[in-house]
Amino acid sequence: MTAAMLDLRALSAAALKEVWVIRRYPALWAGMLFWPVLLPAVYVLQAHAYAGGDPRATAAFLSRSGTSQIAGFIFLGWSVYMWLSMALWGPGTALRQQQVQGQLEAVFLTPASRAAVLFGPVVAYLALTLWMLFVVGVALRLAFGVTLGAGEAARALAVVVASTPAIYGIGALFSSAVLRWREVNGLVQVVRGLFTVFCGMTYPIVILPGWAQHVAYSLPPTYVIGDFRLVLLRGANLAQVAPDLLILLGSGALLCILAAVAFRATERYARGGGSLVQF
Amino acid sequence: MPEVRAALAIARKELRTLRRYPLQSINTVAQPLYQFLIPSVLLGSTFLVAGRAVGFQASAGTADVSGFLFLGAFVGGQGGAAFWGSAFAFRLEMMSGTLEPAWLTPTRRETFVVGYLLASLVVQVLGGAVLLGIGAVFFGARFFGAALAALPALVLVEVGLVGMSYLVASGVLLMKEANFFVDSTNFLFSAASGTMFPITVMPGLVKVIALLLPTTYALDILRSQALGTRPVLPGWSEYLALAGLGLLAVLAGRWTFARAERRLRRSGSLGQY
Repeated sequence: MTAAMLDLRALSAAALKEVWVIRRYPALWAGMLFWPVLLPAVYVLQAHAYAGGDPRATAAFLSRSGTSQIAGFIFLGWSVYMWLSMALWGPGTALRQQQVQGQLEAVFLTPASRAAVLFGPVVAYLALTLWMLFVVGVALRLAFGVTLGAGEAARALAVVVASTPAIYGIGALFSSAVLRWREVNGLVQVVRGLFTVFCGMTYPIVILPGWAQHVAYSLPPTYVIGDFRLVLLRGANLAQVAPDLLILLGSGALLCILAAVAFRATERYARGGGSLVQF
Repeated sequence: MPEVRAALAIARKELRTLRRYPLQSINTVAQPLYQFLIPSVLLGSTFLVAGRAVGFQASAGTADVSGFLFLGAFVGGQGGAAFWGSAFAFRLEMMSGTLEPAWLTPTRRETFVVGYLLASLVVQVLGGAVLLGIGAVFFGARFFGAALAALPALVLVEVGLVGMSYLVASGVLLMKEANFFVDSTNFLFSAASGTMFPITVMPGLVKVIALLLPTTYALDILRSQALGTRPVLPGWSEYLALAGLGLLAVLAGRWTFARAERRLRRSGSLGQY
């Protein structure tokens, strides 16, 4: 068997193990029904309060966001927040979980590729992400009458595929940081806070001041949210969002390489200081 | 008197533990800012007409979006104290294996709930004051002087929060995996109290639930004093509703907590999680 095949087997085994763990926590599945629907729904109610039935306020929203579909706009923004949350709490903390449970040393003693250890959980959480996006689509259709056709869904899937390396690259990079600093909750809040404030989850980027727009456009989730809104709410085709998708793919590749380098550095640090078992 | 001393000792112990996790204390301010306040203020900006919140003025009775939201965060944070700080403290004690020894002391179990809540409220009120300061300095919210007139309502709402703590603590004690339960109920409680929007925009059934929560009235009194919003009920009837519902919450909470405790003692599952 070639080295690549062995790595692939190790990757699928790591993913399968993560699926088993996820299956044990029904609250996680309940959360996947609750949060993607109720978190944005509350912001939709808030948007209705801001509109206040005044056509001038609604027109202001349309001119700034480019769509009159308030619910769709907000749901798609928060779906990327959910996706990021899953990447940070799932694959982002998987190594730390193994460290706390005392399994990380054993895993590092196996001949399995480090890439399999780092990216295995990603594969498992990808299924959860698709489920979450499906729930968002169903909620939009049933509760707010936003109809998404097969064409739009296929284009959205293309955006998901192009965004996956970037989102999980962030998760993998985060994973190494958590292993190094041994602090999960605070780091998740800081990283997620940065994305929530700058990436336009509830608002169009155009309302930000110039410097904040520069920050926003340096963060991959901004493109994911923008492209979801373009293909699902404004009927854009893939050619129109192609430059964004290229940016996403490029930043995804860069983030994954950075994550691998950071992981190697963290491992070296942990081996040198014997901190692999400390937590 | 011994129970008051015990509650204070429990609160002191909780605060001492909290002091060891400074990042957690920073999050008392940072988390509402990034997760709720900044996204909400920016969403509000999307609806501005010539710099004025004309739509919000129509639905909430004030154009001061920041003031409305920061006051909501202040009261919402105290609700969070009842859910996370107080009720979830039982879960943490369970996980640390200290719940059984604590319950074997002569202190009444109900006192633990009050002690945890006290510690959490201290943190939340301090964090809330910092948030209000940020709102005033960076977001142009205008509320300070007039908000003081609503202090009696803020004190009165704590009675209701004690009741909520008992109710949620009962759920936490009976469940083996309580994170989702606490997180989701806290979110719904906060949203239904009108922390993010006026209750006039809520759908029918949710509005009925909102009118049964003491926090709805405390927040409404606070906003009407500070921002001049239209109150849900006229005059002193809001104070009466706040006091009545608070008392009801304490009675229902203590009854539920006593039943949960009896069940745990019979099943012997106090140490399981």
